[in-house]
Amino acid sequence: MSLFRSKRLDIGGFINARVIRDHTKRKVFEQHEPERQALRYIIRNTSLPQRARAQAQLQLSHMHAYTRSTQIKNRCVAGGIARGVVRDFRIARYQFRQQALAGELPGVRKASW
Amino acid sequence: MAATYNRILDLAKVQCRIFSLNLNPQGLRLGNKVLRQRLRGPALAEWYPKKTVSFRDLQDSYKPLSLTMFDEGEDDREEAIQIAKLRGKGRPKKKRTAAESRSAKKKK
Amino acid sequence: MSLLFNPHLLAKFGKQSLYAVSARSITTTRNPDIVAKSSSNVSRSINERPAFLTEPEPRNWGERLDSINHKTRLPRSVQAVYLRPLRRKAEYGLPVCDLQLRSYSVRNVELFADFAVRAAYYLKLPISGPVPLPRIIERWTFPRSNFVHKKSQENFERITLRRLIQIKDGNPQSVQTWLAFLRKHAFYGVGMKSNVWEHESLDVIKNLDDTAPGVESSLKVHLSQFGQQRGGRAQSSISGLLGDIQPTKNRSPLNDVRKG
Repeated sequence: MSLFRSKRLDIGGFINARVIRDHTKRKVFEQHEPERQALRYIIRNTSLPQRARAQAQLQLSHMHAYTRSTQIKNRCVAGGIARGVVRDFRIARYQFRQQALAGELPGVRKASW
Repeated sequence: MAATYNRILDLAKVQCRIFSLNLNPQGLRLGNKVLRQRLRGPALAEWYPKKTVSFRDLQDSYKPLSLTMFDEGEDDREEAIQIAKLRGKGRPKKKRTAAESRSAKKKK
Repeated sequence: MSLLFNPHLLAKFGKQSLYAVSARSITTTRNPDIVAKSSSNVSRSINERPAFLTEPEPRNWGERLDSINHKTRLPRSVQAVYLRPLRRKAEYGLPVCDLQLRSYSVRNVELFADFAVRAAYYLKLPISGPVPLPRIIERWTFPRSNFVHKKSQENFERITLRRLIQIKDGNPQSVQTWLAFLRKHAFYGVGMKSNVWEHESLDVIKNLDDTAPGVESSLKVHLSQFGQQRGGRAQSSISGLLGDIQPTKNRSPLNDVRKG
């Protein structure tokens, strides 16, 4: 969403509309996480009045979709691909193969056993 | 049995007071597990690498000093555009008004 | 770190190392078994050398070093590099610090472990030597090409080698010095992580009381941000606090308190 997107590009590496969108979602989630956790606490706490809990539920469900952590998807830093991303290197499988064969990933070698 | 229960309860009370924990002998759902969770935001937000200095930034920083630099990639691009224009394959002119765009459609 | 730059301390270290080498030569002359095995005794006279040459067994590093030059010799500290690292003996065997070295290459981790062991000796720290921990093997398999060509895949692996060095009953300050020294001379491609255990005397409460003023003074800056300050701007009376906000008076049948 354009209302959350930063005016100046603040990431390096591979740039793509989808990468920028995902980065925006991450930043928005980081910003709103305490608020979400507070609402979640109110909802889970059975000792609080039912009315407050219901209100918190409503408020949580009315928050913007970008504040949800489930919107975040790990994307390849070097290629923007969302599938087959290795978490350790933040790189998808094709980029991984290329970089590993070029010896750019420390310690990674072709295995044979 | 009751005495031992009370003793254990007292122990738990003291324990909770010392270590500043929540005493919850009835096992009610107080949602404290939400409070105990760590914030994942900072870790998630730094997935993509930060922006570093580019050649463009260097160029811009030297521009006020009236120092120009030769950017080979940019030069190639401009040359390619020039060639495309000569061949009549350049970018179409921007349509500013609705009438212009309609007339373009009618030609087809 | 500042300890390292202390000239007085450095002088101490120098003395200590000299002493160490001399002590070693004494011990080697005392028990002939060790002399025969390690043959690191540099003070062996030249007269003995022909006897060695006649022996069929291959010459060790120590002898080779001796035979390089008859008139001059390398400094003791340089000679020690060619020999197995010296070790202190632990008196109580109480573990104080665990240092784990990790690397993807055997050479680097072995070299740095050796370096750490030697550094520990000169800091008078008894250690239990580099223990090779199980290797961490991570493997990834990817299709070489598109989804269609799933049958042709490629395997990649990353093997992390680990060495554990444990310090037994060392002085906490010298342990910190040792860790700082290792960080300063960190070797490329070798990661380090350490667990340090500090031991208290049984009189914990007294120690806590002793350290309390220092802790309080350091926390004062943070604690002053909380709560109301007595001499601060906070006004004592509620009317002053509320300012010109007037309490509303609602006239209603149930609001008035019935008298009598």
